[in-house]
Amino acid sequence: MSFRPRILVIDDEAQIHRFLTPALTASGYDPVQAHTAAEGLRALALNPPDAVFLDLGLPDMDGQEALEKARAFYAGPIIILSARGREAGKIAALDGGADDYVEKPFGVGELLARLRVLLRRKSTSGDPVPVVTAGELEVDLRLAMVRRKGERVRLTPKEFKLLAVLVEGGEKVITHRQLLTAVWGPAHVHDTQYLRVAIGQLRQKLEADPAVPAHIVTEAGVGYRFLLDQGQTET
Amino acid sequence: MSNIPTSHVARPGRTPLTQTTWRYVGGLGLVVAGAAAALAAGPELAGANLAMVFLLCVLVSAVTFGLGPALASALLAALTYNFFFLEPHYTFRITHPADLVTFLVFFAVALATGWLAGRARDNARRVAGHANATALLLEASRALARTSAPDEAAQVLADQIAAATGGRAIVLLNGDDGLRLAGAPPGLSALDAASLEAAHRTWADTGTAEVADPARAWSFAPLDGVQARVGVVGLRTTAPGDGSDRPDLIGALLEQGGVVIERALLAAAASENAALRRADQLRTGLLTAISHDFRTPLAAILGSATTLSDYGDDLKPGVRRDLLQSIQQDAQQLNKHIGALLDMSQLEGGALRPKQDWTEVREIIGSALRRLRSRLAGHRIARDFASSLSLIKADPTLLEQALLNILDNAATWAPQGSAIRIAAHEDARNVLVSIEDEGPGIPPDQLHAVFDRFHRLSPAGSGGLGLGLSITRGFIEAMGGRVAAVSPLTAAGGTRFVISLPKVVETPRGLL
Repeated sequence: MSFRPRILVIDDEAQIHRFLTPALTASGYDPVQAHTAAEGLRALALNPPDAVFLDLGLPDMDGQEALEKARAFYAGPIIILSARGREAGKIAALDGGADDYVEKPFGVGELLARLRVLLRRKSTSGDPVPVVTAGELEVDLRLAMVRRKGERVRLTPKEFKLLAVLVEGGEKVITHRQLLTAVWGPAHVHDTQYLRVAIGQLRQKLEADPAVPAHIVTEAGVGYRFLLDQGQTET
Repeated sequence: MSNIPTSHVARPGRTPLTQTTWRYVGGLGLVVAGAAAALAAGPELAGANLAMVFLLCVLVSAVTFGLGPALASALLAALTYNFFFLEPHYTFRITHPADLVTFLVFFAVALATGWLAGRARDNARRVAGHANATALLLEASRALARTSAPDEAAQVLADQIAAATGGRAIVLLNGDDGLRLAGAPPGLSALDAASLEAAHRTWADTGTAEVADPARAWSFAPLDGVQARVGVVGLRTTAPGDGSDRPDLIGALLEQGGVVIERALLAAAASENAALRRADQLRTGLLTAISHDFRTPLAAILGSATTLSDYGDDLKPGVRRDLLQSIQQDAQQLNKHIGALLDMSQLEGGALRPKQDWTEVREIIGSALRRLRSRLAGHRIARDFASSLSLIKADPTLLEQALLNILDNAATWAPQGSAIRIAAHEDARNVLVSIEDEGPGIPPDQLHAVFDRFHRLSPAGSGGLGLGLSITRGFIEAMGGRVAAVSPLTAAGGTRFVISLPKVVETPRGLL
């Protein structure tokens, strides 16, 4: 018998559980249902799951507050389920410790793709992979070296730092604020123009077609995502 | 302005009688002072010199106090001259015939001096008063012309009347439940019941409020526009001032203010009507959209789902897959509709606050194309991007949605296998994005309307709500940009949408 990762789904809508439970079961997971934030937090504390889906619009608690409480004792992957047009809440949740988000309504394929990325990352964490390969790219995080088609690409220290933060994210979205804080420091969280320019330069140097980036992908208004393989997160 | 009843508006300032009395006292006092000075000077001052002193007094009194006091001064001067300085002294009799001539000549000269100078002074005062009134009126009409809302105009009128009279003024306009205070001096926010009652009597023309004490009660005058009465003006005088030709001035102010307020009221009513009409149009459009465009995909979903649940086992796998796909596609269609309605309600509700941030336009085009990848799979995408492009301040989410709507349109109209050309360039002021398709193009008579809400080129069936392009325009304009459509591009058709977004231009300091 193989190991089935336990997935806690905290959502007040019965319809969501109705299709998510069989879908997760069929994909080899062990889903646990919670219909309120209180119920979800209790389940999270009693028997920590391998990953959590958290709806931001719960009736008994503000989504941000629920996330904050969960993060106080749970370090595993949390994926936010958010409604379209709630950009601000989504970004706040990502900055507040959520690992990724899926917009409602979603297809099961999209949801499972996000989940797989985070679980894979979790299984390899603790022993960071020093060399990440993504298509033609080879990023050596320890030696701070990048190769494209086997040839070394020269990056400035800032560019490498930015790339490293994206690559270490392991295909999850990294917000503007997180990138700016990590690369330029907390004083520059609003200097988005630095980020735009540096991302442009990275794409020029690393992407086969900088106009159609295959690896450094823009999430408009939210942040960036580093994809190992083009086409994995088709929506 | 004679038809404006202002008689019951209290005249500001001291009553004319006391003012006139004081002027006469002043004029005569001058002569008395002159006589006293002459007596004190003694016999050295005599004859012609003495006459000069009195004439000077008459002249000064004429220039200072006007015609009436001047003539009175002349008479007093002649009598005083006779009484004290013509033989025999201390009588009004004149013994020497020569002295009689002197007296008569002196009296005539004093009268003439007083009359001429006094008249000149009175005329000058009148002209100055008129000029002052004209300036006040001009200022009032300028201030009133700058107003657009009725209450704003009412406040300006109250201020101007107060300034013209040196008192306090209020303007009441007709509201939903009777008169309401629209313009008032600072600190006054409500009227007492008695004043309001008086105001209503004036409004209804059922008697003007006779005011016992203008310093304590408001006196009211009706405020009429060209077509109808628009309100009531109340006046209360507190400080004395020159009331000479103020009734005319107040009348003119009332006339001007009435017309301006009436115009503002009509304009406000018109814009309210336009807003209501617009909201009504939107509601009708939404109802049509919901009843038709939402029902069609819902019918397909319901039909497919019931078919699957009732006959699932009897269906061939291909048919089953097809029905499932239909459910999926129609649900996505519904989701798109809901997204459009949300965007529209954001635009209509005035809740749209673009989160302007440094944005790389090519990047947003890329992410829009990525999101539409499967929908655009059948089209060739050709890009023509400038190798370097200025960053602009824009809301990336709104820009992406604006682009998505245009691209989605292109995917709907342009035939499979045709090219969609996307270019991004910049000129001195703007970053420009153009999206060109090889679809049938837009008929010339419809080109101007493609950005209108619920405007659809085909009656139905293409699946759009007719909101996409209007949302695009709304979002782009909210970010300070412009969007335009050009069609047809060739004889075969084709449409080009051009979005221009302003670059952040910093004015060099030297030019400021």
